[in-house]
This record gives sequence, C-alpha cells and structure tokens, in this order.
Amino acid sequence: MKLNAESLPDLSSGAVFLATGGGGDPHVSLLAARQVLAEHGGVELIPVDELDDEAFVAAIGSVGAPTTSLELLPSTDDPAKALAIFEEHMGRKLDAVVSFEIGGGNSLIPLIAAAGRGIPVVDGDGMGRALPEAQMMTYPIAGIPSTPAIALDYLGNTATFATDSTDTYERHIRAMAQAMGGMITTVEHPMSGKQLKSSVVPGTVSFATEIGRILRQRRGNARRILAPLREVFARSLYGEPIHLFTGKVADYSSAIIGGYDIGKAIIETFHGSGPKLEIEVKNEYLLARIDGQVAASVPDLIAILDFETSTPINAERLRYGQRVTVLGIGCPAFYRRQKALARVSPRCFGFDIDYTPLEDLTAHHQPLLAG
Amino acid sequence: MLRIGIDVGGTHTDAILLQGGSVLAAAKALTSRDVSSGILDALEEILRHEAGIEQRIEAVMLGTTQFTNAVVERRELAEVAAVRIGLPSGRGIPPKTGWPEDISRSLGDHVYQLHGGYLYDGWPLAALDEREIESLIGDLKARKLTAVAIASAFSPMNPEPEKQVARRIREALPHVRITESHRIGQLGILERENAALLNAGLLEFAARVVDSFESAIRARGLGCRFFISQNDGCLMDADFARRFPALTFASGPTNSLRGACKLSGLSEAIVVDIGGTTSDIGVLRDGFPRESNIVIDVGGVRTNFRMPDILSIGLGGGSLVSEGGRTVGPLSVGCELVTRGRVFGGDELTATDIAVAAGHAEIGDPERLGGLDADTVAAAGAEIHRMLNAGIEQMKPGSAPLPVVLVGGGAILVREPLAVASTMLTPEYSGVANAIGAAIARIGGEAERMISYERIPRQDAIRELTLAAKRNAESAGADPASLLVADIEETAISYMPGNVVRLRVKVTGDIARRKEGEGGQYQPRAASSSRAAQTGGEAEL
Repeated sequence: MKLNAESLPDLSSGAVFLATGGGGDPHVSLLAARQVLAEHGGVELIPVDELDDEAFVAAIGSVGAPTTSLELLPSTDDPAKALAIFEEHMGRKLDAVVSFEIGGGNSLIPLIAAAGRGIPVVDGDGMGRALPEAQMMTYPIAGIPSTPAIALDYLGNTATFATDSTDTYERHIRAMAQAMGGMITTVEHPMSGKQLKSSVVPGTVSFATEIGRILRQRRGNARRILAPLREVFARSLYGEPIHLFTGKVADYSSAIIGGYDIGKAIIETFHGSGPKLEIEVKNEYLLARIDGQVAASVPDLIAILDFETSTPINAERLRYGQRVTVLGIGCPAFYRRQKALARVSPRCFGFDIDYTPLEDLTAHHQPLLAG
Repeated sequence: MLRIGIDVGGTHTDAILLQGGSVLAAAKALTSRDVSSGILDALEEILRHEAGIEQRIEAVMLGTTQFTNAVVERRELAEVAAVRIGLPSGRGIPPKTGWPEDISRSLGDHVYQLHGGYLYDGWPLAALDEREIESLIGDLKARKLTAVAIASAFSPMNPEPEKQVARRIREALPHVRITESHRIGQLGILERENAALLNAGLLEFAARVVDSFESAIRARGLGCRFFISQNDGCLMDADFARRFPALTFASGPTNSLRGACKLSGLSEAIVVDIGGTTSDIGVLRDGFPRESNIVIDVGGVRTNFRMPDILSIGLGGGSLVSEGGRTVGPLSVGCELVTRGRVFGGDELTATDIAVAAGHAEIGDPERLGGLDADTVAAAGAEIHRMLNAGIEQMKPGSAPLPVVLVGGGAILVREPLAVASTMLTPEYSGVANAIGAAIARIGGEAERMISYERIPRQDAIRELTLAAKRNAESAGADPASLLVADIEETAISYMPGNVVRLRVKVTGDIARRKEGEGGQYQPRAASSSRAAQTGGEAEL
C-alpha cells in the first residue's frame, strides 16, 4: 500500500489520539512529511506479515522534550540522513524502517526517512501509543538489543551508542538529547524481519489513519464521536474507548526537567463543582485520578480531546481554560503481560499504585451526559 | 469625562457619545470605502447632540475589524520578506509552509532562512552569519521590499538575534518597516512568525487607515487624544497601532463583551451576541473577557494571539428552521434575511420568522406566516433555547447560574428566561455595544523580567514588577488611581539554576482626565508599547 501526502493529515490526527499527549508536536512534522512525500511520490507501507524474515530493519524517531519542538524546528532531510549514518555505522543497508511509537510527530518521522531513502515503512510500531523511555518499547521487552544505535542533532553532530542494556541506553540518549538542543533523531533497535514480527504492535499506522478519518468525518463532540470510534476500536488490538470525564482545564503547569516535559493538569466540570480530574504528565498523560481515585493509568491510553471537535490535544498544547473530553482506552494485550508491566506499570513512573485494567475502574468514571 | 467610541465594522460604522456612565447619543452609518467619510457621517450625527461639544471631548476610542477583514479577504496586504533566524534547524520548512496558497501569494515569494537563534537551555543554536545578513539586505534592496518580518528560535527567551538583524536592516534601509516576532507572540516559532508576517503585511495599510481615522476625527474638530482598541481590551495610541495592526485581530468580540459589561453594569456575566448566522458566547470575568489559549487561525493562518474565549454556535436571526421546527441552523440566509425570510416576503423559514410568529418580535409582515402551525413554532422556539442553554452551560465558569446579557440584533430570538441564567437582560443601546466597548477600553502597562526566586522572594518580585507596570501604564496615559493588576504570569525556566521564572505583570486602568492647561493635541507616546519596551531578555532583578 502506498501512503501519499494526502493520507498524512488523517494519520497525524489519529496518531495524536493514540499518543496520549506525547510524541511531539505533529504540526511541524506534518508540514515536513507532506513536502517529502510529495517530492518522492509517497512511501510504501508494508504489512508486518509481508516482511521477509531475513530483512534488516531498524526503528527511528525523535527523542527529547516535546516543548522543544515548538521552537527548534526539525529539518526535512534529517531523518534520511540519520538512516544513512546508521547504515554506514552498521556496514549494511536497511530494507525497511519502523516507528518507535505511533504518537504525534514520531509517527511521521519514519515516513519522512523511508521516503527519502526509497525503502518501505512497516505498518506497526514499538508502543501502540507513545511512552517516554526506550526500555518501555515492545522491542527491548521482547529481548531485542537497543544498540548499536546512532543519534543525529540539528547541526549534523552525531553520536553512536553501544550499551549493555536498554536502561543504560536510555540514560545515554537522554543525556545526549539534553546536550544536543533538547531534541534528537535516533536510529536504534536493529533487528531482523523475524525479530520484528515477534515484537511489533502490528497495523498501527493504518489503524491511526482510520481513527483520523473518523475524527475528520464525524467531527463533533464526544456524544457524536464515541459510537463510531468504538466501532473502529472493536476491530483492533485495543480495548473500547471509555468516557472518563468532560470539563475545563482549571490548571496546567509543566516544565522541561531532565530532558522531559513534566507536568500536572487539573480538569473541573463545566459547573466548577463536583469531582475533579487530575492528570500526571511525563511527556505523556500517564495517570488520571478523579477525586483521588485512579480512573486510568499507563499502559492504558488516556486521550484528551477538544470538547467541541474531539481533536486530540498534545500535552505541549494543553492550556488553561480549554474545554475537553478525556477518554481512556485499554492498551494492546502485549502491555498487560507481566514482563511488559515490569517496564510500564505506574510504579515504573514513581506512582505508588499497581496497575488496574481500565475496564475494572469504571465505577470511578464520569458518565457522558446526554443533551 | 466626555468621550466618543467608534466601531468601524465591515458594513456599519457606529459612534456613541459617552459621558461618565451614560450614553448621550448613538449613530449608525454605512462604512465607506475610504473609511473616513463613514466615520464623519456617524460623528456628525452624535455631535449634533450639543453645539460646540467638540471642545469638551477628552478622548476618541476606535475599534475596527478593518485589519482582520484585510487578512480574511486577502486584500491590502503588502509583500513581505519573511526572515527566519534558526538555521541549521528547520531546513526544508521555510516560513509560510502550510499557508493557504492565496494569502501566501499576497505576501510574495520572499523567504529567507539565516543562521542564528538560541536553544531551550540558552546555548546559541548558531552564530549570526555576517554574509547572510549582507546578502539579505542586498536582496531587500534589489526587490524593493518595504516590509520585513523577523523570527528567531526561542526569541521569547532571548530576542537578541531578532534585534540585531532588525538593527542592521534599519541602518542600511531606514524606510523599511520591520516586525520582530518577540514583540507580538509567545513560544511556538511558527505561530509567532505567522503573526509577525501578517502584521508586517498590514503595516502599509495600517499607516493609511490609521491616518484616515485620524484625519476624519481631526477634520471634525476633535483635537483630543485618539486611541485604537486591541484584542485584550486595552487601548493603543495611533502610533502603536501603525506598528502593530495585527493586535486589533478579535478586538470586535472583545469590545462587544466590554460594551455589554458597561451597558449592564455587570462584571461577572455571560454575554451572548446574536447576529444573523451565529451566536457568539463569551464570559465576562472581573469585567473583562475570559481569554482563550488555543491556536487560532486568522484567515487560515495559524497564530497564537491572545483572544477572548468565544464559543460560536450556528444560531442567528437568519438560521434556517427545518420541517416541524426540530432543527434550527447552522445553515443561515445571513445578510439576505431581509429578502429571503418569510416575514420579508421570501420562501425560507428562519429563526426570525419563528420569533415573529410567537409574537415576540414585530418585524416585517406577520401576515406572510399564514399556515405556519403552532407546533412548529413551539418546537423551534424550544430548540433555540436548548441550543443557547447548552452553549452557555459549556462556557459558564461555575455551577451557580449567572446573569446573561443579550446584545446584537438577534436578541429577539430569546423570548423566555434561559434556564442557565440567573437573570437575563437586553440593555438599551445593545446594538452599538462594540462602540461602547471601544469607548471604555482601558490603558494597559506591562513589565516582564527573568527573576530568580532564590535571590528575590516571590512577593517582593511581584510587587516590584507591579510598580514598573504601573509606571508604564501611567506614562501611556492611564489614571494612576484606577490601576489594577490584570494578570500575573509565571513561566518556569527549568534549565536555569536558582528557581528562575519569567514573570510578567500586567496592569490596566482608566484613561486619565486631561490636565488643566494641557493642549488639545496631547498624544501619549505609546499606550501599550511598554509591552515591547519591557520584554527584555536576560535582565534580572
């Protein structure tokens, strides 16, 4: 299947929906991807099961604090340049690239890279959402080493990584991201087609495009959008979208700390009285509590949508006074296994709670009022 | 004090004469092509109130949608050199990427990317390149360009590169008009750059329009102070408006909200401005519009201007009513209501027809509504109220019912108290609420610094900046006794040790009365340029 510039807005908006607040500003990446795909006549999207077992694949994306991307713009030729540097480092040509995370801007970077090099991009990703750290990806959880890896900054400076564990790799790329302007492009997790098949979250590029299409065609508030969204999700690896809360952003503060955007949002009902929803942010929306009771937590997805249009809102664009609807969605089954939860449960982010699946928390969710 | 408010809209020019809190006279004229004769017509009518009153008028405040309309309609825009300082970042994403074709063309194909700018942690992104600046200036000369917009990476944190390049251009080409992005927007380089570009494109038009505003007013014998209202409900003087015309974007809704505040005497209320096609719902908080923070398109171009938080719903006097009255709007006959609405002899059933059928309004010819059944009228009436209630519910800041002020011609659609309203009023003169809003706009002053709270306690820092902001407002013409803190904004600068924040304090106040013996031609230098003057880089208290 060929992806062209026209399919990008749907992919991008669906990817922001799945990004749970992270993944970087999609607007800039969308502008870049449109141009590159128009220039190269699109890019081939290859389904996971059509990939050759012997194919040589690597994951590509940006690492850093998403707020940085509001000022330090990416360059359209950087992703392809990063692939070239990686290939030279490995002494081997890549047959395809795959995304770290189907979230925000990071869902588009593999497309820009693949189009620039004339190779296909895999329909899938390593998170099924966005998450802030490398060891949280399905690839390392499934046992694929993160390195050799390379990083490229806006100036063309490069770094190479050879580490003994993904935890170490994460520390190193984070330090490099901070030192290299706050946002870098990395190519990592070299793997075979066979390894990829055992670890990837499949079909997420086309799934995000489908979500984006629903958001565009059925544009309107949650009452209008929830039923068609549920239909699409029913045919996916994810759980059902559940309404958590609707209200106004009463407070949001965030800062770039240690190479991440760290923040907290408080959402009140339109009336101002009644329960409050509190959301913890580390690049992504990680934990939602309603009056202190957990309503949804990582690795399940938390999406914040503009109330009127259901346009998903990234954390760096969240502002005081916005009227929003918050949805929770069960994550793909991969992340509910013990081995994955050891990497992505709320405790991995410093919250003193165990993971409870979203469907078991419905008692704390707010009903979606009619009218 | 005696003052005049003028609202120059796309179709009508309204003027009001205000003494203290009361409206002495109001007039409506058609906006003329040259702008000034429409103003003169409206002025003529209100000045008839009393012979020789011109001498006693202390200030004229004007609100206008001229600049917003110019952008939306892609007219009167000059060609602009778009200069971004941020290479080597952003290669392949030049200024104006993603703009609608037509407006991009209006500004011409003059796009420049230079090395320079800063990173999030204050480290230089790249050094400015002397040869690039030279070649830019050569190009400006060769292409005979007269307007330039400059944006550099992280300029809200460090504007030095923008200032340096602007200085170089000014030295070489003193006639060129320049907009530096840090003076007009916040974090988000693409949106800030877009705002600067639109502003630069409007500079030439602004010089002309503001001149014609001024000459109309002076021609009518008004020698007093003259201001133009901006999107945040504050005034700027004519000189500032010539340099920052884009700051008038969305001043229309702001003036409508402020006017409703004045007319109703309420400072906490919901204001519903019902026009022909939409109802614009806004919130008054402490007498000022609540602001929105989402990315806002102006004529298809993304910007990050501070604008009032307005919810537009598709309900107006011209809204089409469906079979049986089950739905109303969003389709509307708009300004063709007076020919296509049934009471005006047309075939379309509109919300206005429903209001007339219900006996709530006397417009057109009720005879033409024969055959319209009572169920349809009741159902459509209920739908109109349901839509307004639902919209207001979304905008309301708390659970308690709030007063609702209705302004605009469509206020006749509302015939029973709205459930979400504690009280409901349609004040006299609500048809010229915008001109009244302009007349009572305030003088603002801002001060902004980087401060380490470890070195200066937070309360002391706020007190000190408040004083600085008050000094700025006073020198811009505000009455010192009326100054109030309007906003305190803190942005943590996490990369700097010592709990550093960027602190911004904004105060606003009423316009000061003219002092004894002061000439009629008194012109404050800049009502709001304090924003620019104080938005310094790394200055610390």
